[in-house]
Amino acid sequence: MSELRRLAHQYTFAPAAVLAAALLIANVVALPRFGNPDTWIGTLAIFAPFALVALASTPPVLSGTGGLDLSIGPLTVLVNLVLVVHLLGGSLGSPEVAIPICLALGAAVGALNGFSVAVLRYPPVIATLCTFLVILGVSLKLTSQPATAPIGNWTTQLAHKVGPLPGPAIPIAAVLLVWLGVQRLPYYGHLMAIGGDDATAFSSGVDVTAVRITAYSLGGAFAGVAGIALTAVFQSADPNIGASYALIALAAVALGGTPVGLGGRGGLLGSLCGAMILYLAQNLLGEVHVASTWNQVVYGLLLLGGVVLSTTVSRPPRRAAAG
Amino acid sequence: MRLVRAEGLAKAFGATRAVRSFTFDLDPGEVHAIIGENGSGKSTVVKMLAGIVQPDAGELELRGRPVGSVASPRAALAHGIGTVFQEVLVVPPRSVYENVWLGVDGFFRESVPANEKRARAQALLTELLERPPDLGRPVSALSLSDRQACAIVRTLAREPAILILDEATSALDIATRERLFGVLRRLVSAGTGVIFISHRMDEVGEIGDRITVMRSGENVATVSRGEVSPRELVRLMTGVEKLTPAVDVGRSAVGAVVLRADGLQLAPRARPFDVEVRAGELVGVAGLEGHGQEAFLHALRGAGSFAGEVVASPGVVLGSPRQARRLGIVYVPRERRADATFEPLSIRENFALPTLWRDAVGRLAVTPRRSQRRFHPFVAKLGIRLRSVRDHMDTLSGGNQQKVVIARWLAADPKVLLLNDPTRGVDIGAKRDIYRLLVGLAGEGIAVVMLSSEVDEHVELMDRVLVFREAALAAELRREALDRQALVSAFFGERVDADEQDRARV
Repeated sequence: MSELRRLAHQYTFAPAAVLAAALLIANVVALPRFGNPDTWIGTLAIFAPFALVALASTPPVLSGTGGLDLSIGPLTVLVNLVLVVHLLGGSLGSPEVAIPICLALGAAVGALNGFSVAVLRYPPVIATLCTFLVILGVSLKLTSQPATAPIGNWTTQLAHKVGPLPGPAIPIAAVLLVWLGVQRLPYYGHLMAIGGDDATAFSSGVDVTAVRITAYSLGGAFAGVAGIALTAVFQSADPNIGASYALIALAAVALGGTPVGLGGRGGLLGSLCGAMILYLAQNLLGEVHVASTWNQVVYGLLLLGGVVLSTTVSRPPRRAAAG
Repeated sequence: MRLVRAEGLAKAFGATRAVRSFTFDLDPGEVHAIIGENGSGKSTVVKMLAGIVQPDAGELELRGRPVGSVASPRAALAHGIGTVFQEVLVVPPRSVYENVWLGVDGFFRESVPANEKRARAQALLTELLERPPDLGRPVSALSLSDRQACAIVRTLAREPAILILDEATSALDIATRERLFGVLRRLVSAGTGVIFISHRMDEVGEIGDRITVMRSGENVATVSRGEVSPRELVRLMTGVEKLTPAVDVGRSAVGAVVLRADGLQLAPRARPFDVEVRAGELVGVAGLEGHGQEAFLHALRGAGSFAGEVVASPGVVLGSPRQARRLGIVYVPRERRADATFEPLSIRENFALPTLWRDAVGRLAVTPRRSQRRFHPFVAKLGIRLRSVRDHMDTLSGGNQQKVVIARWLAADPKVLLLNDPTRGVDIGAKRDIYRLLVGLAGEGIAVVMLSSEVDEHVELMDRVLVFREAALAAELRREALDRQALVSAFFGERVDADEQDRARV
């Protein structure tokens, strides 16, 4: 048991991965349609934006001292909006131009959040909630009603097959690859250090402010990717869906073994598993005909159980008593 | 060339002048120790040199160059200053290796090749620890001593020209401490300058080439090793002035045992001890900060985690603060604002809350007038200065707030009054009132147990002082043997013998 616990501590995503795999099997068994390979790409395309929002929410949480970014959801929708309304179909619509713009927009908003948290020292919940509201307002200003993307634009490929590759997997893989690269940089050590113990990192000469701002803008840039994936599935923009993503994404992060509010533990792989759990659970609930009135209740309880389970299993071994 | 030359450094935090004037120098190849009582300003000096805080005034030269101040820990490291702090600064979830090399690299590039890093970390850990931990292990899996060793190795790995150890040894076990001294000797012979801060006189005597004594934010003397005795050092640290006004302690009658601790153990592996508290006595709780005094006070009301038993007078073993209160054991906390007062409420409400049931008319209704009537005698007795009992608590000065908090518990007819540093942040007039009150209460047969960080309060006020060291009762000084020197010596684990024969010189 203690060995199991040690492993779970080392690989924080492991419990979530096991749970996600179990749910996947349950889905395939319960829903024959789910096992049909023809539906996979469509399912993945719907899953991708949600998974990406969860991934984007993770770096701010890792940066510690109550770090989190509530504005990731609305930011994703803002990027989606800008892409649909202003970029696609215009002179800046080609992927080589539009993608960097989306990423830069996300990173800039993230950096702003990072600045509020790291320099102005606002509590992350408050700071990013303010950004959340501002973005929501800006989104409504940009499009008062749902807008549609031009037919046949390049993003549609991300909802279908691209050569032999499943299109929706590309943005997820891209973010995970970038994260893999980040993990090889000394920066990753700084990030996990400021998350694990702010004061130690500061006294060791780590530039805590810069590291934290970078974490938030990295999350923002990932939200930019999520915005592209969102455009790919829906081919439209609706400013009203951003709010619903904000909290569920954090639940996915917590389910994935990254304790929200602590920092320095966990990672993006866990958040991906967490997002899978949420998605698969909802899918299953929808199909087994739980009365729709109870659906939310059951979902909420499942979520609570899952978060409690994954945080207790991956809890660090008890600290040696301080003498 | 001097490594450090400081001239008149000063630092205030709000109205508190932590360091008034600090003048100091450090040569290459020496260990310069700094000693002083709690609150003498040592830690602030370290923080100024380490770039955590910036001085308000004074000159600072590092390695022959005037720098003014050190802007950040990063800047301190760039100046060649490496600091190990008293708090064990590690990132528990990360590995030993990451902890050792934390903050050395840039974002994108490693400043030292990884294999060299591993080798150097391994070499230093092996030098410091008998059984060095695996570099890949998370620090959270290590003992406290080994964690501190990691923090020390982190500083040593940067090969600082100026090494500051701020009570860095207090978390180390004895073997590691000895090995650290070996490492320090090696570094010093290679030209490193070490600033060594410790509460342990034996350590200072063993390793310090020069010793600077601080008192009340100033350096009062700098002596070479062997120049003065430990006694003389204690005298230099404490000074001779009396800070508290004399209070007439004209009591002698001490009653029955009201509270007893049997085999009390305040921390794992700490030495268990027994204590008795009698009715009508004033007992001081003293020691260097963080040596278990606070845990002791909490244990006396059944709070916190401890082993052993605390028995209240009718033979009841205490299990909770709630139960203690019912048995007449009340507690006045240290943090007034956080733990004792309700700022938005009125003075009267602050007074009456725990005893509100006494103001009940019938079963439910409480009349403010009754609270007011009960409060009235205490206003006179404690000399509480207020305009109206309906004013908010935060309109009162700190001293008057403290008096209201004490009155609150006196209204509950206590047998034992536990006070946690009650005169902290209280002006001298109110202090005097509180002293007089406590003496009066003891005269009425209440047992008063008071933790204080002011040596003078113990000397002037107490019948008996319990001195704590390393989470255990280290000494018990009775009134007749109580003076500043004896008390402070006991803090440091030294005994000042009555005979004039000086013990081994430092």
